Amino acid sequence: MDLTAGGARAVSVSRSERTGLVPAGTVLAGSVISLVGLTWDIQWHGDVGPDTFFTMPHLFLYSGSAISGLASLVVVLMTTAARRAGRPVDARVGGRAINVFGRIFAAPAGYLVTGTGAAMFLLYGLWDQWWHGLYGFDAVIDSPPHIGLLLSITLSIIGTVMVFAAAREHRWGTVGVVGSLGVLIAFSTVTVLGLQQIDVDGLDVVSVGIALLSVLLVSAGAGFWGRPGGAVRVAAALAVIQAITWWFSPWAAEAYASAVGLPMRDYIDGVPAMPSMMPMALLPIAAVLEAVYLLSRRGWPAGRVSVLAGVIGGLLVGASMPIQNAIVYGSDRMPWAVVFATGAAGAVVGLLGGFAGWRFGGMLRLLAPAKGENAHA
Amino acid sequence: MRRTLLALAAAIGLLFATTPAANAYEPVNIVHTERVQVGPYGMTVGFSTWPLRAMQSLDFTFIPDDGIAGKSGTLAFLNPETGRLGRPQPLAKHPRKLEVWGLDIRALQTQGSWTFRFEIDGPAGKGAGELRDLAVLEQPGPPMAVSWSISLIPLIVLAVLIAVAWRRTRLRLLVAR
Repeated sequence: MDLTAGGARAVSVSRSERTGLVPAGTVLAGSVISLVGLTWDIQWHGDVGPDTFFTMPHLFLYSGSAISGLASLVVVLMTTAARRAGRPVDARVGGRAINVFGRIFAAPAGYLVTGTGAAMFLLYGLWDQWWHGLYGFDAVIDSPPHIGLLLSITLSIIGTVMVFAAAREHRWGTVGVVGSLGVLIAFSTVTVLGLQQIDVDGLDVVSVGIALLSVLLVSAGAGFWGRPGGAVRVAAALAVIQAITWWFSPWAAEAYASAVGLPMRDYIDGVPAMPSMMPMALLPIAAVLEAVYLLSRRGWPAGRVSVLAGVIGGLLVGASMPIQNAIVYGSDRMPWAVVFATGAAGAVVGLLGGFAGWRFGGMLRLLAPAKGENAHA
Repeated sequence: MRRTLLALAAAIGLLFATTPAANAYEPVNIVHTERVQVGPYGMTVGFSTWPLRAMQSLDFTFIPDDGIAGKSGTLAFLNPETGRLGRPQPLAKHPRKLEVWGLDIRALQTQGSWTFRFEIDGPAGKGAGELRDLAVLEQPGPPMAVSWSISLIPLIVLAVLIAVAWRRTRLRLLVAR
């Protein structure tokens, strides 16, 4: 089964396996630096407190986007120059080139998305400064400019996934897709805090959002991988991120406070704030999804199997999150009514996640040029 | 590429080098105070801006007349919108003014008449008291619906991107199947 795209005018170019690795690695590094900055910043506000624009976590957050944005800009300019000079453009570097502003720029699809996200991040950063000038430096993560900033980084990370998907003929391409999908799930657990604005009695709306996005992205990993193991690999990537940030976030907040001579707050709970929002049960849940995918070997269409898997995955993630929160924060009693309601809502959104995720996986595969068609002018 | 990376490293290095100079945290500047009696303890509540407005953050200080040494306590908010008393939280030292209790850069989210309920345990025993009728004025700035709409633009960009990609890949995915 070959899901790759065809149709474009093809010329053969001989490039080494590492073509495109440096810019792809740079945008991924930018995403990871943003992730480090975010988990550090959230922990800082909880455990230490005082805020100015010039803190180390903010530096990580902003430089992560700057690195992704500049790398994307460089690739777009190089691609544009190559096309103008009549040289072939390698579609494994970020995907097919898209015309921007007429034919002024030729931007590989993945880098176009990453760069657009980084540019929007800059605009939302300016709005955030204005916001803090008006409302003060209250450290609420779910203010409108913050959600705009987080959504912009999300767009950049989606571009990063696309960049690696375009290079899927290389091992680093497939590994990069899995890794950046893990980064995207980790990041999304904070972005969905925007859903706190929707107040539904007896339902953990934020956990419903986590159920949707984690099922969507794990299913995308499975659809992209095209054979058993994609879902588990994405969930494993998240587990690695969760394990590292679980240790890193409290340590970094305390080390930085000590370095700048600030005391820790009284009565801190010691819970790593952002890592504790990531679904801990995702790895075993992904294994369940893999078992459901085996139904496609009995002749069921893979897309429909993914919908069924999504319902089961959404139910399990949705139900597990309130339990996880109760355990992590040492709650006296388990909120069973919320567990059941959130599981049920998770199943509904999981249906959508399983359906769209599998399709997104297929779309990611199409970003890579067909075999023997490595370049188009 | 190497030159670009060097330039990037230099820019980041410069940021690091200049950070400590800009790293001074603002002192807590009290511009208004209120008195509250918490059982046997007299206490001054300080505000770093006055009047208070919904969503606008400020520093609060809670200073018992003879200091915080040997005392502990809790604070709970009565939100005028919900009419519910929130969960009591321990009175903690203000991170930028360690000799007193306080809340750093905290905003009261809704306008109306708020109540702060204190409980203090100390050498003179336990006591409770309330700071009532704390007026919080209307939220400044544009309506929240406008702000939320602006914040969702990346989501709209993403939805358009997905819609276009979905349509363009439909046939190819069908063929591949």
